[in-house]
Amino acid sequence: MAENSVDDITRRSFLKQAGIAGGVAAGILAFPKAAQVVEAVRPGVQRVTRSYPKVRIARLDALQTKQPLDFVYPLAQHRSFLVKLGEEASDGIGPDGDIVAFSYICSHMGCPLIEQYQSAHNVIGPCTCHYSTFDLTKNGILVLGQATQSLPQVVLETDGSHVFAIGVAGLVYGHSNNLEGGVPVKPLGESS
Amino acid sequence: MKQESQVVEMSEDSEGLWEKAREAGISRRTFLALMAAGGAAAVLAACGSEKDDSVQLSDVPVAGIVLPPTDASVVPTACDYCVVGCGYKVYTWLVGREGGTAANENALGVDYPVAGLSGKWISSNMQNIVEIDGTPHHVLVIPDGDTEVVNRGGDHSVRGGTLAQKLYSPDKPTKDRLQHPKLRIGEAFVDIPWDDAIELVGDLSKYVLDKYGEMAWGMKQFSYQYYENTYALTKLARKSVGTPVWAPHDKPAAGADTPGLSDAGINAYSAAYQDWFDADVIFISGATLYETKSILFNEWVARGQATLIVVNPRRDFTAAYAEKRGGLHLQVTPGTDTVLNNAIAREIIRKNWEDTEFIAERTVSESDLAGESGWRRQEFGLTFEGYKDFLLSDDTYTVANAERITGVPAAKIRKAAEIMARPRSGGSRPKTSIMLEKGNYWAHNYPNTASLAALGLVVGAGGRPGQMQSRAGGHQRGMISAAGYAKDKSPDSYKGNTIELNVDRWVVEGNVRFMYVIGTTWMTAMGASQDLAAHVKRLSRETGPSITRSDAFDSAGRLNVERVKDLLKAKVDANGMVLVLQEIYPNIVSQFADFMLPAATWGEDDFARMQGERRLRIYSQIMTPPGEAKPDWWIVAQIAKRMGFSGYDWQNSNDVFEEAAERSKGTVHDYAELVKMAQSQGKRAHEFLRELGTTGIQCPIKLEDGKLVGTKHLHQDSFGTASGKAIFPRGDWNDVKEFQEKEGPQGDELWVTNMRVNEHWQSQFDDLRIPYRWERFPSNFLEINAKDAESRGIESGDWVRVENDRVATQNGGRYAASFRAVAYVTDMVPKGVTCSYFLHNQGQLDMAANSVTSGETDPINNRYRFKLGKGRVSKTGESEFKGTMSFAPRNLA
Repeated sequence: MAENSVDDITRRSFLKQAGIAGGVAAGILAFPKAAQVVEAVRPGVQRVTRSYPKVRIARLDALQTKQPLDFVYPLAQHRSFLVKLGEEASDGIGPDGDIVAFSYICSHMGCPLIEQYQSAHNVIGPCTCHYSTFDLTKNGILVLGQATQSLPQVVLETDGSHVFAIGVAGLVYGHSNNLEGGVPVKPLGESS
Repeated sequence: MKQESQVVEMSEDSEGLWEKAREAGISRRTFLALMAAGGAAAVLAACGSEKDDSVQLSDVPVAGIVLPPTDASVVPTACDYCVVGCGYKVYTWLVGREGGTAANENALGVDYPVAGLSGKWISSNMQNIVEIDGTPHHVLVIPDGDTEVVNRGGDHSVRGGTLAQKLYSPDKPTKDRLQHPKLRIGEAFVDIPWDDAIELVGDLSKYVLDKYGEMAWGMKQFSYQYYENTYALTKLARKSVGTPVWAPHDKPAAGADTPGLSDAGINAYSAAYQDWFDADVIFISGATLYETKSILFNEWVARGQATLIVVNPRRDFTAAYAEKRGGLHLQVTPGTDTVLNNAIAREIIRKNWEDTEFIAERTVSESDLAGESGWRRQEFGLTFEGYKDFLLSDDTYTVANAERITGVPAAKIRKAAEIMARPRSGGSRPKTSIMLEKGNYWAHNYPNTASLAALGLVVGAGGRPGQMQSRAGGHQRGMISAAGYAKDKSPDSYKGNTIELNVDRWVVEGNVRFMYVIGTTWMTAMGASQDLAAHVKRLSRETGPSITRSDAFDSAGRLNVERVKDLLKAKVDANGMVLVLQEIYPNIVSQFADFMLPAATWGEDDFARMQGERRLRIYSQIMTPPGEAKPDWWIVAQIAKRMGFSGYDWQNSNDVFEEAAERSKGTVHDYAELVKMAQSQGKRAHEFLRELGTTGIQCPIKLEDGKLVGTKHLHQDSFGTASGKAIFPRGDWNDVKEFQEKEGPQGDELWVTNMRVNEHWQSQFDDLRIPYRWERFPSNFLEINAKDAESRGIESGDWVRVENDRVATQNGGRYAASFRAVAYVTDMVPKGVTCSYFLHNQGQLDMAANSVTSGETDPINNRYRFKLGKGRVSKTGESEFKGTMSFAPRNLA
C-alpha cells in the first residue's frame, strides 16, 4: 500500500528498501506485456506486478560534461534528461560518479523544466511557473521553491560502456503511479 | 516472481473478454474505450502476447499513491502556516479502500494522470495515514484546485503542500506529541491525570494571584492559533486576572506591531490580494516575499504587472526577481530604512511628484490633527506641510547623505522616487502600493514604520484599489482578546506616557511567580535569549525546593497532590517562579517548566480565524487529539474554573467562537453578523462557516439586504483617525541613530541579521518532524558573503561560531553570547552582513540566533531590534552536513 511506496525523502537508500507501491490496476493502452505479470494469489484475487523497463540511453564516452541529453522515460510522455555534472553527485554513476538523470516535469505543479538547467550551479530551475529550483548533485532536493517532492530522479546503471535507465525514484507529477496513464518505453529485448 | 516491483490486488467480477482484459491489467475505463474504438479485436491486441523472459526489466520499486474513493469524507480547511492561508480540502477514508483513475472512480472527480497546473495532483507528501475513531484512515490534505481566491487553481507552498505530514501518527516523527499532563520531578517529567494537573495548576495560580497580586501572574501566549483559543486564554489573563504581565509570542509587550501605520490611521491588513495584482508599483520593505508569503507572491504579485522595489539587506529571490524584471533592489545597511524612506519621500517632494489631490482630500489639516488624542499621535503626528518641513529642514535626508548612511546608491534612490511617484505624460499617476514586514518593523520599529507610512501617503497609497499600505504578514490573524489590555497597571513609560509592560524585563527582575506559557518558545524568540533563559532557569529551577519522587508519590504510587501543592507554594514564597508550558511538543521552554499540558492543534478541533486579506474560514477537525491532549480553550477553562472564575462553561469550540463574536464587533475581525445569521437559521456558526468552504468571507462582515457581505479593502471612505483623515507620522533617524552607532558592528564584527526560509515555518516545531522539509536545513545556518568567509577560512558546510561579548540584557547589563551554525557562503548577503535562521529549534539554546539580539527594547513601545544583531564569526570545524546539505544559490531568478 501507499505507506510503503518510495518516499522520496529517503531516496538515498531507496535501492536498499523493499518498497512495494500500491495503486489500482488501471489499464494502459498497449502496456508492454513483458512489463507485467498477472497471477492468481488466491481464489478470486489476482496479483498484477509491474516493472520499469530497462532502457539504453547513451554511450558513456559520448557524454559531454554539462551538456544535457534528452530522453523519454518511463512513459513515452515523460521527458527526462541525462547530464554529466562534472562533480560527484548523490547516486551518480560512471567513473566519476557524476552522471545523473531526472524528470523534466516539475514536482510542484507539473510545468516543464526544459532549458532550465543551470550548468554553473548544477541546478535546474527556477521553474517558469512557480520558481522551484532543484539541486542535481543532491538527488534533486529542493534548493528553493514549493515542490513537495524532490525532482524525480531516473535510476541509472552502467555496464562500463553504456548508460541504462532502470527506474524512477519519486512519483512523477500528474500520476498516481509512475507506470500508469501512458505507454511505457520499450524495454531492451522486446521486439518491435 | 521475477519482478516484485508493484503488487495490486483486485477481485474478479466478470467473465469473457473483460476478464481477459483485466488479466492483462486493463482498466474498465480503458476496456470500454477500446471496445468503443475497435471492438474485441482492439481489446485482444491490447492484451498482447504472453510474458517474454528475455526482455529486461528492473527491480526498482514503482512509486504510487492511493486515490480517494468516491465516498471519501471531505471537509474544507486552510493551511496552518503562513498568513496567506491557502484553502485546502481534506479527504479521509478507511485504509484498504481506494479510488480508481477514472473521474467517476475517485473523490477528486478527475481522470488520472492529471495535466500540468491541474491543481488536482496528489504528491506523496500530501497523504498520510492516521487513526480516526480508532481505525486507520488514509488522509489526503490537498490544495483546493477549484478555488478562485488566495491560492487560485490549487497553487500551494512547500509548507502547505506537506500539511498531511504534520498530523499525528504513532509510527512517524510526530510520535513525540505531548499526550498527557506532566509534572516535573527533579530532572524528569511524570504523567499525571488531568484532574490532578488542573487541581495543582489552578490552586497554585490562585495562590499567587491572591497572595502576590496580578503583577506576579504572567502569561506569554501565541497570538494567532485560532480565535477560540486566544479568546479563552485572554479571558483568563486579561479579564479574570486582569494582569498587564501579558505578551504575545513575538514581542515582550502588548501593543501594535506597526505603530507608524497605526498612527497614520492605517490598519496593517487593509489590502485585498487583488490590490497587489492591480498595483503598478509595489514598494516592498523588509519582506522575503517569495519565501515567506509564497502564494501571495506567485498568484497576486508575480501574475500582476507591478514593478517591484525591494528593500532588503539581502539579495534574496524576490530582490533578484525584481531587478530582473525592471524593478529595483535597494540593498540597505541593516537598520537604516528610516533614512531611505525619508530620502525617497524628500526626493519626491522636491520634484513636486507628491499626490496633491490625495493629500488634500484624505490627509489631516492642522485642525484635524488638533482633535487627535493619544500621546503618540500628539508626539509624532504631522500634517503634510509639517512633514515636508521636517524632511526639508534636515540634511540627513538628502540623497547624498542617504547614500552614505544606507549604502544605497543615490541614483537608485532617485530612481525609486521616479518609479513610485513621477506622473506620466498625460498626468496620470502610477498606482503605488506599500508592503512591509519584519525586515522593516523588527529593526527600529517606530521610525521605520512611521517613515514608511508617511512615504506611502506622499505617493497616495492608502484606501484605494491598487493603492494600499499593508503588511505582508507573518502568522494568520487569530487573535480576539476577551478584554482590553490593562495598560493603566503597567509601570513602563516613555516621556511620561504609560506604555505596555516589558514582560521579559519584569520576569528577569524577579517580579513574576506564576508564568503560564502557551504555544511559544518564549526565550529563543526574544532578545538576549541565553541571558533571559538563564534568569528563567534561576527563578524556575534554582529557587526554592524542587520536587522529588518520594515527595510526589506515596508508597502505593499515588500522586500526593497536597504535598506537591505545598512544595510549589514554598517555591513561589522563596521568590521562585512556577512555569506552566502548554504545548503540542516539548520545546526549549520545557527544560524550565514545572508542568507541561498537552494541547490539541490544527485538524484536532474545529477552529476559525482570518488570513492576510481578512478572510475568515473554518479549520475543520479531521481527527481527535492524540492521547489526552485537549484544545487550549478547554484547558484554560478548567484552570479558570478551578480558580473560581465564572464564564468558562463552554461545551465545544463553537461555543467559544460564538461568544468571541461580541468582542470582534467594531474591529477588522467583526463576524458578529455571521453568528447572528447562523443562529437565525438554527445552525452553529462553525457549521455556517464550513458551508462557506475555502472561500470563507472577508471581515469585517456586514449585513446588507439580508445577506452577509464581506469587506474587500479597508479605508475606502476613511482612515482610522478621529477625523477619518490620514496622519503623517514622523519617523526620525535622530531618535535611533545613537543605538545604531552604539550597537552596530565594530572592528572585525559583522551584522548578524536573521530571516525565515521558505521550507521552514517559524520555530520549526513541525519541520523537525517532516523529513522532506527538515532535510533542506537540518541545522541552523549562517549566510556569509564569500569575501567575509575567505578572510576567515570558512567554507560552506563548516561549523561557525558567532560571538558577541557585550550583548545588552533586559535589565540593563551586558552578557557574553554566542551561537553556532553551519556556514552557507552566498552572495545573498553583502560583505559585512551575515544572516541566520531566526528561530532555530532543536531544543538547544546554543543555536539561538536571538542570543546576539540586544535585550534593550525600543523605548517608545518595548520592541526588540531582532534584525540588528552583530558578532565575530569564526570557523570551529567541519560539520556533518558539508557533503549532504545543498549550498546552491537560493536567489536564481
